[in-house]
Amino acid sequence: MAFCAQRLPLGAQIPLSCSARDRRSASAAASAPIPSHHLKCVLSSAKTPSSKSPTNWTRKKTLASFFSSALASAAGGGFLLHFSTPVPPPGNTGGSGGGGGGWGWGGFGGGEGGGFWSQIFSPLAAIAREEDPMGGGGPEWDSHGLPANIVVQLSKLSGFKRYKISEILFFDRRHGTAVAGTEDSFFEMVSLHPGGVYTKAQLQKELENLASCGMFEKVDLEGKTKPDGTLALTVSFTESTWQSADAFRCINVGLMPQTKQMDMDTDMTDREKLEYFRKQEKDYRRRIDRSRPCLLPMPVHREVLEMLREHGRVSARLLQRIRDRVQKWYHDEGYACAQVVNFGNLNTKEVVCEVVEGDVTQLAIQFQDKLGNVCEGNTQLAVVRRELPKQLRPGHVFNIEAGKQALRNINSLALFSNIEVNPRPDEKNEGGIIVEIKLRELEQQSAEASIQPGGTVSFEHRNIKGLNRSMVGSVTSSNLLNPQDDLSFKLEYVHPYVDGVYNPRNRTFRASCFNSRKLSPVFTGGPGVDEVPPVWIDRVGFKANITEAFTRQSKFTYGLVMEEITTRDETSSICTHGARALPIGGLSMDGPPTTLSGTGIDRMAFAQANITRDNTKFVNGAVVGERDVFQLDQGLGIGSKFPFFNRHQLTLTRFVQLKQVEEAAGKPPPPVLVLHGHYGGCVGDLPSYDAFTLGGPYSVRGYSMGELGACRNILELAAELRIPVRNTHIYAFAEHGNDLGSSKDVKGNPTEFFRRAGHGSSYGVGVKLGLVRAEYAVDHTAGEIQLILVNNCNHSVWPATLGNAGHPTPEDGGFHLDAFEETFFDVPPG
Amino acid sequence: MASQLAREWFGIQQFPAATQSKLHELLGKLKQENVNTLTILVMGKGGVGKSSTVNSILGERVAAVSAFQSEGLRPMMCSRTRAGFTLNIIDTPGLVEGGYVNEQALEIIKRFLLNKTIDVLLYVDRLDAYRVDSLDRQVIKAITDTFGKRIWRRALIVLTHAQLSPPDGLNYDDFFAKRSEALLKYIHLGAHFKKQELQESVTPVVLVENSGRCKTNDNGEKILPDGTAWIPNLVEVITVVIANGSKPITVDQKLIDGPNPNARGKLFIPLILAFQYFFIVKPIQKVIKQDIAKESKPLWELRDLGLANRKF
Repeated sequence: MAFCAQRLPLGAQIPLSCSARDRRSASAAASAPIPSHHLKCVLSSAKTPSSKSPTNWTRKKTLASFFSSALASAAGGGFLLHFSTPVPPPGNTGGSGGGGGGWGWGGFGGGEGGGFWSQIFSPLAAIAREEDPMGGGGPEWDSHGLPANIVVQLSKLSGFKRYKISEILFFDRRHGTAVAGTEDSFFEMVSLHPGGVYTKAQLQKELENLASCGMFEKVDLEGKTKPDGTLALTVSFTESTWQSADAFRCINVGLMPQTKQMDMDTDMTDREKLEYFRKQEKDYRRRIDRSRPCLLPMPVHREVLEMLREHGRVSARLLQRIRDRVQKWYHDEGYACAQVVNFGNLNTKEVVCEVVEGDVTQLAIQFQDKLGNVCEGNTQLAVVRRELPKQLRPGHVFNIEAGKQALRNINSLALFSNIEVNPRPDEKNEGGIIVEIKLRELEQQSAEASIQPGGTVSFEHRNIKGLNRSMVGSVTSSNLLNPQDDLSFKLEYVHPYVDGVYNPRNRTFRASCFNSRKLSPVFTGGPGVDEVPPVWIDRVGFKANITEAFTRQSKFTYGLVMEEITTRDETSSICTHGARALPIGGLSMDGPPTTLSGTGIDRMAFAQANITRDNTKFVNGAVVGERDVFQLDQGLGIGSKFPFFNRHQLTLTRFVQLKQVEEAAGKPPPPVLVLHGHYGGCVGDLPSYDAFTLGGPYSVRGYSMGELGACRNILELAAELRIPVRNTHIYAFAEHGNDLGSSKDVKGNPTEFFRRAGHGSSYGVGVKLGLVRAEYAVDHTAGEIQLILVNNCNHSVWPATLGNAGHPTPEDGGFHLDAFEETFFDVPPG
Repeated sequence: MASQLAREWFGIQQFPAATQSKLHELLGKLKQENVNTLTILVMGKGGVGKSSTVNSILGERVAAVSAFQSEGLRPMMCSRTRAGFTLNIIDTPGLVEGGYVNEQALEIIKRFLLNKTIDVLLYVDRLDAYRVDSLDRQVIKAITDTFGKRIWRRALIVLTHAQLSPPDGLNYDDFFAKRSEALLKYIHLGAHFKKQELQESVTPVVLVENSGRCKTNDNGEKILPDGTAWIPNLVEVITVVIANGSKPITVDQKLIDGPNPNARGKLFIPLILAFQYFFIVKPIQKVIKQDIAKESKPLWELRDLGLANRKF
């Protein structure tokens, strides 16, 4: 029972990296190189403005306005969730890994306020900006031409010279000390860099900036000449402070008009002043009342209070730290557009922190053509819209996780080659966010044919009527000139949203024609039995079903199957009974009947239902959770010999996490115990091809397919312990399969006829080597040892397994594994 | 195949007078119980002396016997009448071929026995085979599967080559007891007897010596090492088995085909379906709903739903 093998190629939990197209090709076991996808998620956002953008601090008596030309820019943030599927380079594994993508934070600086988010799309541009914020700078500079070690006022500097600043010092006048340490928040206020070259005008502008930013009561720039012609710049300042506060409040002022500062006339009387302040206070109170509660949780709230309490007087630096703390929480939680815009109510007991959280005001979906121009899309918007989490709709706070989810959900539609989820600031609505979703549609029709003597002809018509309906067909034959031998075809129509695209119920109708040819594991010999003549089961039929998806993984499928089953022997002629080689040579042709009708051809119609409950999830890459599957085939008495039966299977799998681990990228997965039980049974007519078979990689490992028997009722139990080791895991397993004595209830008793045990156990160990599994299984009865290699990657591997001195080389030195194939070979004893 | 015409049993005249009178007495007893025909089925592995035993009982050379080769590839029935009483003995080919039960042979036997009634089964094995192995069990199982468990209530175990000297100082009686015990155990295993059934029916074990060098007593009867004349003894045990109250086995098409597993429980399918819908599908659907309710939503989603209350 290879639990992961069935699952890995689907990568169900990481749809980000595994697009629906992958899935389709995987199930079709395509011969062509499976398209893989590059995943690119660019997420660039205004790095917390604390780093670069100068926040304006204006000192007023009761109101320190703390913002910000940067408001628009910062609140608007710029980031882009991006998903594209370019043409795959060959051999790229798109199958399961989180391979090529991640969420990157492209930092950028800038402080000129709004208007630059258009550049944000390119992180490179952002970096370029960071390089020279003041636009000055060049390799050349002028010496100050003054004696060394004298202090020069800024005003005394020459307006024509380009000064090189070799050093920047901060001097706190209140404490009379120089501020040391580059981590200090003052450093980020200053856009000058040691080593930069600036003109007097630039320095003066910088001083103005500093003076107007609100952090300082008083600020001065002084140069000190150095012997090498450069200047050492000293910023001497007095920090703004307010009276100490013991309360903290955080309010959401998004979508509210900013408070306008009424200018205070200098020649107001005291009374007028008092009136003015009172009015201002009242206005502010009203503003607080109108604001909405913010998301900031109590723990952070308390943390801030602690900071206030510790610090005593509220200083500009403290406010900056509070802002950083609050913003950090928002950004850590994915509210990438959240921004502290203002501190109000200073000089009272309560500090009010005004936050713009990034409320979504509009959701815009647009289609792009190949060149990136906006165009009319074929897909109906409702199809996209129903995939979007409601947190992206107007009225909700934008969260980057919701954006990611939208990206994943839309990608799972497999309709688009390029998906971008891009929040941008709403110009008409201050503090608002417009979520823009840009989609590039895939080609609607495609047809492919590779015609050599053998080949494949396939066509696809996707997204019919813009409702994601699709029609896919393919015909494959190894010899198209003479195709009757091995023609395989498939035609499938998928019709999603049976209940309407606006109905939240998610039901999909599928109809398909199929044919298949498989070797029957029922006609397999037990240990010590010579080669049993193989029996091929050919199925041709039609299938229609409806799948209702409850969650991404849990679903209920029900439908109807009509098929014709033909059993053939090696020579492709129809056979009616299994055969066994007699000791005297020759074949005994009186084996179990291959079909119900006894003619070698059965036709039947039956109803099929499958309910899957799956709440597994990935914990650091390990599957954890529960999976239950109940499958039912109910014969309707329609067909040859009027088959009436009830064939049912219940599979229960538990992935038990044995240790709590921290969930984060790069952390090791927990050890997992997998418990698996499978019961199958059939009441009524049971043709041999529908009998349950025991043994094989998905039943009891260590045996070949069907080596243990074919039966009417089956019970399989397995346990597997997976222990992470470095990047992969090793596992040990024990399995048992039993026919519950029901082999004799299969017509002709194929278990006994081919001398099989009817039950068996095995145990073994294995290791996952990247996408290839290697395992070593010992079966319990014969003590036979098998080495199994399973290829889970979507391209073929060719491991050479060489023996050494005295040991034979297995399988003649090497073998070839196609995608999702597996091989096992017996290890010679000794 | 002499099944159609029942010839007069001349062979009985070959027997010594004492045997003849004993046989007549036993047959008379059977007739008193309104039994006019007696059909004996002889089965066993190859080369254990089935055909020889048949020949010995009838006192005629009806079945070809070869020391080195299996002769009987097909079953054969010999019918003999004597004083209005018909004795049918069915000799069958050996059931073992190449280390396994020969289903083909079994198939032929089954078809041959169609529409016949078996009064007694003689399961023949050799006394001088020291071991019983899984092959014996398979043979017994094959017989059980074919005729049903109850055949063993109408069965005798016949051990041939009775005239032997037991190995290494074992007492003859001990040896015989051990050998029959081992064989009976396998029969109980192979036939899946339950404990209770075991106590009810004890399959008798009879010794036989077909060899021409068999010792005879004063009356010229072939005797076993313990001195009993074995042919009258065998027939007597057969009559006892017949009288034990179990029914003879009639082989019909149904018995040959065995129970049709495809037909079993078919009537209950609608019930099973209803059960599956209400007790499997519905609960799973319920659990899925619980899963959805329990699903740990990310914090941002909870906050959006207003469930955070500023706790996180």
